[in-house]
Amino acid sequence: MPKLRVDGKEIETKQGTTLLQGCLDNDIYIPNLCFLESMEDPSASCRMCFVEIEGEKQPITSCTVNVKDDMVVKTDTPAVRQLQRTALRLLLSVHHVDCKHCPANKKCELQRIAKFLKVGLKPKGLERYLQETEIDRNHPFINHYPNRCVLCGKCVHICRRQHGQSVWTFAQRGFDTVISAYGEAGASSLTCGKCDACVKICPVGALTFKDVQEDG
Amino acid sequence: MNPGKNEKIDQKFSAILEAAERRRKAFTETPVPKIHIGMATCGIASGALETKKAFEEILAERNVEAIIHPVGCIGHCYAEPVVIIDHPDSGFPPIFYPEVTAGKAQMLVKLFLGEGDPRFEHILGATMENDLIPSLMEFPRFNQEKRVVMEKCGHINPEDIYDYIAEGGYSTLAKVLQLSPDEIINEVEHSGLRGRGGAGFPTGRKWKLARNTVAQEKIVICNADEGDPGAYMDRTILESNPHQVIEGMAICAYAVGAHKAVVYVRSEYPLAVNIVTKAIGQAEELGLLGKGILGSGFDLEIDVFQGSGAFVCGEETALIRSIEGYRGMPRHRPPYPVQKGLWNTPTIINNVKTLASVPPILDNGAAWYRDIGTENSPGTAIFSIVGNVVHAGLVEIPMGVSLRSLIFDICGGIPNKKKFKAVQIGGPSGGCLNEDFLDTPIDFDSLTEAGAMMGSGGMVVMDEDTCMVEVARYFLDFTQKESCGKCTFCRIGTYHLLKILQRLTKGEGLDGDLELLETLSRDIKAGSLCGLGKTAPNPVLTSLKYFREEYEAHVKEKRCPALMCRALTAFYFDLDLCARGCDACATCCPVDAVFTTSNRKKGVDQELCVKCGECLVACPPEYDAVRKVSPPNLVPFIEKIPDKKEEGR
Amino acid sequence: MLLDLTAEDKHALENIASKLTTLKKQRRNLIPILQMIQKELDYLPRESLKMVAEHLEIPESEVYGVATFYNQFRFHPPGKHRIKVCLGTACHVRAGDIILENFERKLEISEGETTPDREFSIERAACVGCCALAPVAIIGETVHAHMAPSKVEGLILRIAIEKEMAEREKQKNESGQE
Repeated sequence: MPKLRVDGKEIETKQGTTLLQGCLDNDIYIPNLCFLESMEDPSASCRMCFVEIEGEKQPITSCTVNVKDDMVVKTDTPAVRQLQRTALRLLLSVHHVDCKHCPANKKCELQRIAKFLKVGLKPKGLERYLQETEIDRNHPFINHYPNRCVLCGKCVHICRRQHGQSVWTFAQRGFDTVISAYGEAGASSLTCGKCDACVKICPVGALTFKDVQEDG
Repeated sequence: MNPGKNEKIDQKFSAILEAAERRRKAFTETPVPKIHIGMATCGIASGALETKKAFEEILAERNVEAIIHPVGCIGHCYAEPVVIIDHPDSGFPPIFYPEVTAGKAQMLVKLFLGEGDPRFEHILGATMENDLIPSLMEFPRFNQEKRVVMEKCGHINPEDIYDYIAEGGYSTLAKVLQLSPDEIINEVEHSGLRGRGGAGFPTGRKWKLARNTVAQEKIVICNADEGDPGAYMDRTILESNPHQVIEGMAICAYAVGAHKAVVYVRSEYPLAVNIVTKAIGQAEELGLLGKGILGSGFDLEIDVFQGSGAFVCGEETALIRSIEGYRGMPRHRPPYPVQKGLWNTPTIINNVKTLASVPPILDNGAAWYRDIGTENSPGTAIFSIVGNVVHAGLVEIPMGVSLRSLIFDICGGIPNKKKFKAVQIGGPSGGCLNEDFLDTPIDFDSLTEAGAMMGSGGMVVMDEDTCMVEVARYFLDFTQKESCGKCTFCRIGTYHLLKILQRLTKGEGLDGDLELLETLSRDIKAGSLCGLGKTAPNPVLTSLKYFREEYEAHVKEKRCPALMCRALTAFYFDLDLCARGCDACATCCPVDAVFTTSNRKKGVDQELCVKCGECLVACPPEYDAVRKVSPPNLVPFIEKIPDKKEEGR
Repeated sequence: MLLDLTAEDKHALENIASKLTTLKKQRRNLIPILQMIQKELDYLPRESLKMVAEHLEIPESEVYGVATFYNQFRFHPPGKHRIKVCLGTACHVRAGDIILENFERKLEISEGETTPDREFSIERAACVGCCALAPVAIIGETVHAHMAPSKVEGLILRIAIEKEMAEREKQKNESGQE
């Protein structure tokens, strides 16, 4: 089992695991949004889990590095925090911060990371840009809230893993990228009625089951 | 593989070569005049099709015999449509004519082919030394260029494989198939060739990595997903000499042990797609591709894949995803494509120019190539130079030439007696350099050191009337639209950068905006997943560094010093100069913003004006009454009298 | 998105359906198939996405996700006269955006849209590769070099007049036949 030094502490991790998972297993928290332990190729898209590794010039995402014996890692350097805080501020700048009315309130990963990084939920400096669509009701059972979504892609991943192919997909491109269930509204073969994997795995409350009151 | 002399290969190839030379001989020795027309996209866009049709019609009409020989692009975009007429019986050498319109074509057939008068006033030069007409080699544009990759472009018919073979094409393939792959890779490594896709990774080392990867199957990809706005050298090469690229691919595949290859071309380049597809077919027919190439044991199949228009697909991992049929989103490297690429097969991706450099290198030897260019960047660089230069177009120069001689000698400098202000090198991911950098030699390392990059080879020259804030906004607009949206920094960060820059160009900049631009840019560079995000802030960072006063004028004074940002400028007519009763400006105004004052002079309705500048062009030079100012509040008040006719109706 | 399909489009869709059966059900064929459809129809109608999804046995949302990623694919039929304004670097430096704006103003549509009568559509083009002729606009297949804002109205007018003349000619022929 590889032994490494993280923030001056000796830890032991599973062989072949990612540095991020190794740290999390040892109760060393590194902010992350898009990572799942079971992923074969982590998407490394949220750009949160930066750490500094001895021998590397720049901070590096810990989900894309496998643990190695004698690795020396720092999770709390100014450079790391700078990148993490900017990433969080960017995500918040396109996030409809309305925690009171959000089902993820108090179990939201963004709240957790903001608290951890000591960043306010309504950071100053960056303008806020929200999408016009508040709720995408394309899916027969589940509503999607683009202005809550952080595009971590966990829903796409989990659905594909459980059902072979995914109802959810990334659509559009660039700043307009969204999670979409296009064309699935009338699909009768959907198992979504019985499966709640995507709703459960969403870190921010962007996917919720439709309830009778809301959709009448 | 069985390296060593293989007579079967030599025999097969010499049969092909003989056929090619026979054709060539018949073509060159006939006294019938030859009309070479540049028919690549740039030529066609400038009207080469009409020119060709005009030649055909007038030849038929006057019953003049001549051979029309469509060729690719010669690189002289400023002179398109370009025609070279070789009329052996006239006693003149082959002559290069620029801007040959349909009318000029008819005239040349009548007078030159018919009466032997080459019409000196229309000549740019002769293509060879002679006593009658100045040679093109006397122009810096021609004598300072060094053509390795584009040597045959514009001379051969890209749709005729025999044209290429007669010029020495495919002989290198026939030669290297009798060498061991290691010998080839060593030669490429010794030549010092660096990847022409932008990053400049040593090609030999890349090939060695691929060679040493143990796998059942390997794939070679030619990356022609050129998406940089204003760069079109890959397209031109594919349209003008596709076989040199195919030959390079075949050599690469043989060297690394691949039997499959893909040319990834943008579907926006229909002509290139057609020409490459046709060229592959011709090479297969002659046994230069396919099973047992030239009787050796080496097989290679090449497919063409059309990219669907996503700039990010120039990035290797995104390109691979799109061939596989997915959204072209880059993924983290490692694993590198050379370990795990297309369909999880080890894949080696090379740029068009890199592959096209390979046949001449192996033909002439590594030492020959090392003699061109500089110590660390041997060989040539191809730039498409656009913007405010006299002779825009494609230029291939040895590495190490200074920016100054490229812009001022080879490309003729800045038009309209304007002053040079900046040059943007490397496209939207590159940097903006000011005149202090004009003596920088052009090579991979010097450009990177200066804060720009070789990139794909796009080069935009800007004169004093160009606003650097606006230029940075333009490039950010491009990269922001082309961001794939996968990672946080690039998806949201570039959007903020763009919004701030838009703000500045509209005169709505806030205190602290410049600092915000800087910190955000630095974080995007450090935090992004792929090359697109890591380089997207370059135009902002470099222009902020070298043109900071200009940014400050936008924020603090709401003024655009270059008078380019439309929200910060305004037009008016100097009433002391404006001529009574003249209507030049009023008739050309697309929005009817010009009104007549009480003394029959002109004023601009600032509410209606869209600041297109047409009136400035239209105002007769003897009056020169149009003034452009920034900030807009410098415009003097000119009273608009109510239009009586309108009211009376 | 759900524009009524013309009879012609329906026929073309049937045509595509039969072509699809000859193509292998491989994921790698997705983009070439979409390109084939767009070549036939000039855009991707919603029905076609469904056909492709069924043929390749993948969710329709996947097809949509891929199609919306790439610039090439369009989801609305373009106008009969497609106006492309080049906004490559050289054209930008020479005020290509003002040309674009003029077309937008004259036709009262934005870039990416089609006029209600489906006569005109406006698109922005990345570099079309004739930088020395900047700024450039392409209408149909014809490249218009050295564009100026004041030339925009004339170009549109010419197309309108040509159309009118063609119609009059048609009427004349028809009445002549009677």
